[in-house]
Amino acid sequence: MPLATVVEQLAAARLDLDRAGELLLSPSPEALDRCSSVLEAAGRRLTECQPRLTEQAGDPETLAEAWRLRRSFRRTEHLLQGAGDFYCNWISLRGAMTGGYTSAGDPAPVLHGHRISLQG
Amino acid sequence: MANLLASLVSSADTLQAYGRVLEATQNNVSNASTPGYAKQSIDLYALPFDAQGGTTGGVRAGALRSARNEYAEQAVRHQSTGLGYQQQLADSLTVLQSNFDISGNQGIPQALNSLLQSFSAWGASPDDPSARQTLLQRADALAQAFNQTANSVSSAARDTERQVGETVDQINQLVGQLQGYNHLVLQGNKNDAGLSARIHSALEQLSSLADIQAVFIDDGSVSLTIGGQAPLLIGDQQYPISAALYAPADPPATNPLGTGQMRLQASDGSDIANAGGQLGALVKLRNEVMTSLIGDRYQTGDLNLMAKQFADRVNQLLTEGNTTAGQPGVPIFQYNPDDPTSIASAIKVDTSVTPDQLAAVSVGPPTVSNGVPLALSALAVPTQDADRINGFSYSQFYGQVAGQVGGLLNDSKNNAEVQQSLLTQAKDLRQQYQGVSLDEEATTLMQFQRAYQANAKYLSVLDQLTQTAIDILKT
Repeated sequence: MPLATVVEQLAAARLDLDRAGELLLSPSPEALDRCSSVLEAAGRRLTECQPRLTEQAGDPETLAEAWRLRRSFRRTEHLLQGAGDFYCNWISLRGAMTGGYTSAGDPAPVLHGHRISLQG
Repeated sequence: MANLLASLVSSADTLQAYGRVLEATQNNVSNASTPGYAKQSIDLYALPFDAQGGTTGGVRAGALRSARNEYAEQAVRHQSTGLGYQQQLADSLTVLQSNFDISGNQGIPQALNSLLQSFSAWGASPDDPSARQTLLQRADALAQAFNQTANSVSSAARDTERQVGETVDQINQLVGQLQGYNHLVLQGNKNDAGLSARIHSALEQLSSLADIQAVFIDDGSVSLTIGGQAPLLIGDQQYPISAALYAPADPPATNPLGTGQMRLQASDGSDIANAGGQLGALVKLRNEVMTSLIGDRYQTGDLNLMAKQFADRVNQLLTEGNTTAGQPGVPIFQYNPDDPTSIASAIKVDTSVTPDQLAAVSVGPPTVSNGVPLALSALAVPTQDADRINGFSYSQFYGQVAGQVGGLLNDSKNNAEVQQSLLTQAKDLRQQYQGVSLDEEATTLMQFQRAYQANAKYLSVLDQLTQTAIDILKT
C-alpha cells in the first residue's frame, strides 16, 4: 500500500471517530445506536491497514496522523464516558428513589419487571 | 336556576384555569432567552360531571410545575467546573511557556550555547585577550538570561496570586447574590420562575470558578459548599472564603527566605484543599508548577538549581587553574548562597574580573596550557558526573524543564477541548431531559444501557488498534 493510502486510512478512521464524537454530543439512545455503526466502520478501517503499518514505521507524516487519530479517540472515549456517567448516575438515583439503599450503602438496583420496550 | 348558576360558575372557573395556563405560556415565551430559565406548566384536572347530583364538571388548574431537572443542572455545573479548570491552566501556561524557548535562538538555551562555544574558542587560543573578553561578555549574557526568565516566572507567580484574590472575590460576590435570592425565596417566592432562573444562572457562573456543590432544600433555598467540605451559603447566611500567602512553621522551611504557599481558607479558618474550577487551577499553578521552577520555602526550583550548579562548576574549574602569569584563577559568577531561591533571578558576573585574570592553565600534573578551557568546553557534552546536572547535560536539563511546561500546556489544551465537548453534551442532555422525571423514563434507561455497552466494546477494540498503530509507527 502506498504511503498516502495508509495515511488516508488513518485519516478516514479519525473522521469516523470525529463523527462518533459529534453524535455523542447529543447522546440519546438512538444517537448511540448510530454511533455504534460509525465506530464499527472505524475499527474495520484500522484492522484493514494494520498489517501494512510496519512498512510506514518511523514515517513522521503517518505517525503524526496516528497521534491525531489517538486524540480523536480520546475525545470520543470521554464523551461516551460522560454520557455513561449521566445515565448511570440517573439509574443509581432512580434505584435509591424507588428501592432505597442496600445494606452495603449502595443505591438499590433498578428493577425493570413488567415493562415492555418496543422499538422500530 | 341553581343549575344554571352552577354552570356559569363552572364556566368561569374553567376560563380562569385556562387563563393561568395562558399566563404560564406567555411567561415561557417572554423568558425564552433568559439565562437559566426553565419552562413552566400548569396541570389541568377534569372535575366530575353529574347533572343530577349537581356537579357541573369543568376544569381546575393544578400547581405550577417547573420543567427544570436539577439532576441535569448539576451535570452541567460539574462539566463547567472541569472546563474552568482546564481552560485556566491552558491560558496561564500559555503565558508561562513563552518564557521557555526551546528553539535555541533566544533566552537561556541561546546564551548557554554561546558561552559553551566561547569556552571552545578560548581553548583554541588560550592567550587571545579578545577570546577572554568574549567569554566574560557571554557569561554575563547567560546570567542575564537566567535573571530575565526567573523574574518573568516570578512576575507570573505574582500575577497568579492576584488572580486567585480576584477569583475569591468573584466567588464571594456571587454567593452574596445567591444569599439575596435565598432571602427572597424564604419570604415566599419559591415558585418565582424568574428568581429560579437567576439562581441557576449564578450557580452556573460559580461552577466555572470553583467546584461548588448546590443542594436545594425543601423550603426552596439553596445551600452551597466548596470543594465538598467548606460551607459557602446556608439559608440566608453566607460564609465567605479567603486567600493569602502562608508560611507554615511546621515543617521547618529548608529555604526560609523563599516565598510561601497560596492558601485558601473557609470562614472558620479551615483549609480548602481542592477548590476545583478556575480557582483550583490558579492555586495549582502557583503552588506546584511555578514553585517547581523558581522555588519556595521547601524546594529550590529547577531554574535556581541549574544556575547554581552551572555557576559553581565554572567557578570551580577557573579557580583550580592558573593564569599564564602564574596567578591563581578567580571565579566569575556571583550569587547569594543564603537564598537558594533567588539564585537564577540575581546571579551575575563579577564586574571586577578582568580578561587577564581568567585562568587557562591547569596545574596538573601534567600542566596543560589550555586545560581549563578544555574542561569548560566539556560541559557541552559531559563525560563525567561533575559536569552533569541530575545525570543530564545542562542543555538537556533545560530542555526537560521547558519540555515539562510545554507538556503541561499541551495536555491542558487537549483537556480543555474535551471538556468543552463534555459541557456541550451536558447542556444537550439538560435540554433533552427538561420536564422528565428521574423516576420515569425506564425505557430510555434500558435502551441507553444496551447501546452504551455496544459502544464501549467498540471503543475498547479501537483503543487497542490506535495504540498498536502508534507503537508500530514509532519504531
